[in-house]
Amino acid sequence: MPLLTQSQADDEEYVLVASLDNARNLSNILKAITFKDHAIFSATPTGLRVTVEDSKCLQANAFIQAEIFQEYTIKEDLVGFQVNLTVLLDCLNIFGGSTVPGVSTALRMCYRGYGYPLTLFLEEGGVVTVCKINTQEPEEPIDFEFCSSNVTNKVILLSESLKEAFSELDMTSEVLQITMSPSQPYFRLSTFGNSGNAHYDYPKDSDMMELFKCTKTQTNRYKMSLLKPSTKALALSCKVSVRTDSRGFLSLQYLVRNDDGQICFVEYYCCPDEEVEEE
Amino acid sequence: MQKRVTFVEQLEMENVLTKGRGHVSTRSMDPERGGLESLPRHLGRETHVDMSPSNQRMKTSHIPQTLMSVPFLQHPALATGRRRHLCSIANVYSTEHMRQQMKRHYLNVLHTYIQSSVYTSHLKAFGKAVHALSRVGDELWLDPKVKGLALRSVNSAHSAYACFLFSPLFFKNYNLRPATEHGAETVKCKLAMKCVLPLFRCLNSIERNVEQCQISVGSPDDQVMIQFFCRHGITKTHNLRFQESEALQAVFASHLCPNVLKAPARLFGDVVMHFPSSQEEVTLSMTPLRVGLKNYCDAVNDHMKTMYTEMSLHPDEFDYFHVGVDSNITFCLKELRGLLSFAESHCLPVSVYCGAAGKPVCFSVEDMVLEATVVLATLYDPESKDPSQSAAMTLTDATQRCAEAAVLPVGSCEANIGEPEDIPAVTEMIASSQGSPMNVPPALMLPLLHTAGVCVPEDHCSSANSSPASSTICSLLFRAVSLEQDNHDSTARPPVLAFYSDEEENMEEDTDSPSL
Repeated sequence: MPLLTQSQADDEEYVLVASLDNARNLSNILKAITFKDHAIFSATPTGLRVTVEDSKCLQANAFIQAEIFQEYTIKEDLVGFQVNLTVLLDCLNIFGGSTVPGVSTALRMCYRGYGYPLTLFLEEGGVVTVCKINTQEPEEPIDFEFCSSNVTNKVILLSESLKEAFSELDMTSEVLQITMSPSQPYFRLSTFGNSGNAHYDYPKDSDMMELFKCTKTQTNRYKMSLLKPSTKALALSCKVSVRTDSRGFLSLQYLVRNDDGQICFVEYYCCPDEEVEEE
Repeated sequence: MQKRVTFVEQLEMENVLTKGRGHVSTRSMDPERGGLESLPRHLGRETHVDMSPSNQRMKTSHIPQTLMSVPFLQHPALATGRRRHLCSIANVYSTEHMRQQMKRHYLNVLHTYIQSSVYTSHLKAFGKAVHALSRVGDELWLDPKVKGLALRSVNSAHSAYACFLFSPLFFKNYNLRPATEHGAETVKCKLAMKCVLPLFRCLNSIERNVEQCQISVGSPDDQVMIQFFCRHGITKTHNLRFQESEALQAVFASHLCPNVLKAPARLFGDVVMHFPSSQEEVTLSMTPLRVGLKNYCDAVNDHMKTMYTEMSLHPDEFDYFHVGVDSNITFCLKELRGLLSFAESHCLPVSVYCGAAGKPVCFSVEDMVLEATVVLATLYDPESKDPSQSAAMTLTDATQRCAEAAVLPVGSCEANIGEPEDIPAVTEMIASSQGSPMNVPPALMLPLLHTAGVCVPEDHCSSANSSPASSTICSLLFRAVSLEQDNHDSTARPPVLAFYSDEEENMEEDTDSPSL
């Protein structure tokens, strides 16, 4: 990789340098949160966080820890920028995304700072591509104020049981209702569609239920259109943790294993769908 | 259970003594053990003697050394019968026999275990039935009755009707609510197919995951509840709203059909496979000598662009073959494919009941716990070519067919002569199970081409001119026809196998036609 070693001389100019031997470790995770064009990148010494938001009601975060990168150098405490996620993914897959074993695309992501484009050096089989993507003013990601102390109900399920349920969900239903309760039905997903309603019940003693901690019976509805994108993250993950807090906000945390077996996290936060009955 | 024990002739007593083992060939006549006979015969220590092909079912039994060394077994005066008796006793104590018993016991236990989940395979069959019905119509009628649960569907043009009847034995539990006060026997409900089909869409995952399925009809709130109890304790409940509606049922007098065929589903599947899925209509032609299936092209299609496919089957390929009336019936293949794939997956034979063109054709499949029927309307085409006009016809065919030709063309000719007013009369024979006549529009008979006066026998005469014998027959027919035209005198009419409307009505009143 001659071109990449050359750029090491310019490293002093970059505030962020992150290298991966297999770009798929990044692109697969990013695919799980691609439901909007723009993503906010926040890099801290612990790792890279990519945030995508929709209509102020839904937020998806992907965390890639610094340990996952072969090289991770950051000069500041927080480096933030916003890029077009679709373009970024196209660049990461610029070599076609073939799954031939042994052949992977190497990535070196460099950012000089505010006002500079995000530079990607991609190499596969001796061929090097340099991509420069313009960055935008980063928006402040919404803080849903979802803290662990406020969590009323928490459930950890193995993803394979939820995958089937999510793929069968009645799409004519506008909402997905999630009921979590210390008593029957312990964990229930319900839809209300044109033909009727459907309920998916997961008992607390099921093999698929790794953790069940429900303190209060809560039933909340979330817009189906907001939760539909989370199916992509669910498909990649092996475990998912479902938490609701006292306000009814939903947090879905997916544990994703990448190609090398390393763990990354994808998180979805969603506001409950509140029917305005008053006034 | 008969068991014969024979000594293998070559086996010398000296050999027995020197080897220190006894070998007895046993031939078990028990058919139940047939499956186990196929176990590998070379089991460890036993040496086999002369396994000739005729002795394939013989098994050797190892007699312990201690027993063989006993003097009474070696006595030369030991008669064959006694030897047999002793050896049968020895067989009981042989280790191989013990092993076989244990193996059989294990298989029985396994079988019982598998049997208990036979309902999962039934669930898959139920799902396949829903798939088959979805290919017919957009709505599913669910009709729980004492004799079983009936699933029915009809297409929008009312030219195809399908019914799957599952007997109570098909289900693990079948509970019917007793008749309610307002007289209705049970609830008749109609569901949208697009609500039911997604539940049974992925049959493989149902087979893997679902342990039990419960269907409740008419629970409060006018809902059908379908509950899947899956692995890992997961329960999926679907409450579907239904509309109460009139029963859908077509009564088809299959016992009155002149032509009956029965063949394994595989045969039909193989034949139908050759037609592209875009091919809507096919023509099934039947004569006592062959059955043919070809695609149907109406004149509108560009003949240059259409691919013609034609298949011919010999009567021997059918399990049951009875062609009373030579016929060419044209029907839509699309609605039939669902039933054929259902039958193929269950390895059930398919029966075909049909008559002349214009009469509906019925395809039915049945086994001990279910019955499936598809009734399709056929094109009514008086100008259709008589099967005798096929190019492959030989002279012998013509003479053979002419022998019964006196009967057949007259029948179809009568159908031609039938006035348009007769056609609505046919619809009355379709009655619903509740006795109230259901309005089945004439479309079920699909009289597309309706020209009076064109008589099939004329065409028949013009083609069958190869031999003098056939020309005589033709004039006979012609005469019979003219008789018909002069005076609709039923007594002068020779016996016909293909009835037209009026007579059929009479038949309906007289006999108890089987309902589907």
